[in-house]
Amino acid sequence: MNKLQEDAILSLYKDTFPDLARMVRRMGGTLEEAKDSFHDALLVYMEKEKTGTLQLHSTPKAYLLGIARIMWLRSRGKASLSPLPDGYHPADVPDTDAEEQEQSLLKGIILSGRKCLELLKAFYYDHFSMDEIAGKFGYNGRRSATVQKYKCLEKVRENIKQAHTYAK
Amino acid sequence: MRNELQETALIDRYLLGRLDEEETRAFEADMIMSHSLAEKVDAQRIAHRLILRFARACERSRLENIYRQLLNDNGFARQLKEIFA
Repeated sequence: MNKLQEDAILSLYKDTFPDLARMVRRMGGTLEEAKDSFHDALLVYMEKEKTGTLQLHSTPKAYLLGIARIMWLRSRGKASLSPLPDGYHPADVPDTDAEEQEQSLLKGIILSGRKCLELLKAFYYDHFSMDEIAGKFGYNGRRSATVQKYKCLEKVRENIKQAHTYAK
Repeated sequence: MRNELQETALIDRYLLGRLDEEETRAFEADMIMSHSLAEKVDAQRIAHRLILRFARACERSRLENIYRQLLNDNGFARQLKEIFA
């Protein structure tokens, strides 16, 4: 998120969250639950905006309130069939054991190679170009940034393979 | 790029659906023939999932910061206090 995006999100947050909090309160939820659902909705909004797939049929505020409401109902087990927007893929895997295993694997990878993960995030999640990534991470142009990206991906992949070997 | 990195790049193109039909068929045939390649593809698929988890955790942390920043705004904080009074 750059400064401009952060300002836009802050303004959207300030304008929208109290309405969601009121809605969640009326349905018997807590402030913490309202915040979590709102952050989930903002993630959907920001991800769709990044990939150019955000299709608003109303205002951003109405969109966020709609998604946050679904997220909150889902967290309460009340809306398992409510669909999320097309193209949004939850990262969470349904199997709790696998989820815990991945979470702990990620913690280890963050400790040993945070910069690599940040570079990979910039490419796969933020959709920066390789030229932008080279500038941001201090590489001598797109070619060396591309090589570094694949080295990082290889490193993460090796960590995963090792963890799976130990788990067997 | 060294050969291993070229292979990593190829796996990525497969996982991101950027190979054409013929390339996909050839790649999937290679996976059947090579256990080592199939293992790499599986691990790289998990790597993509971990990158997504990491990215979302970073964004959540930024959103938490925005929330904390807004709690210092008296009007915003008062509204929340009244709603949950």
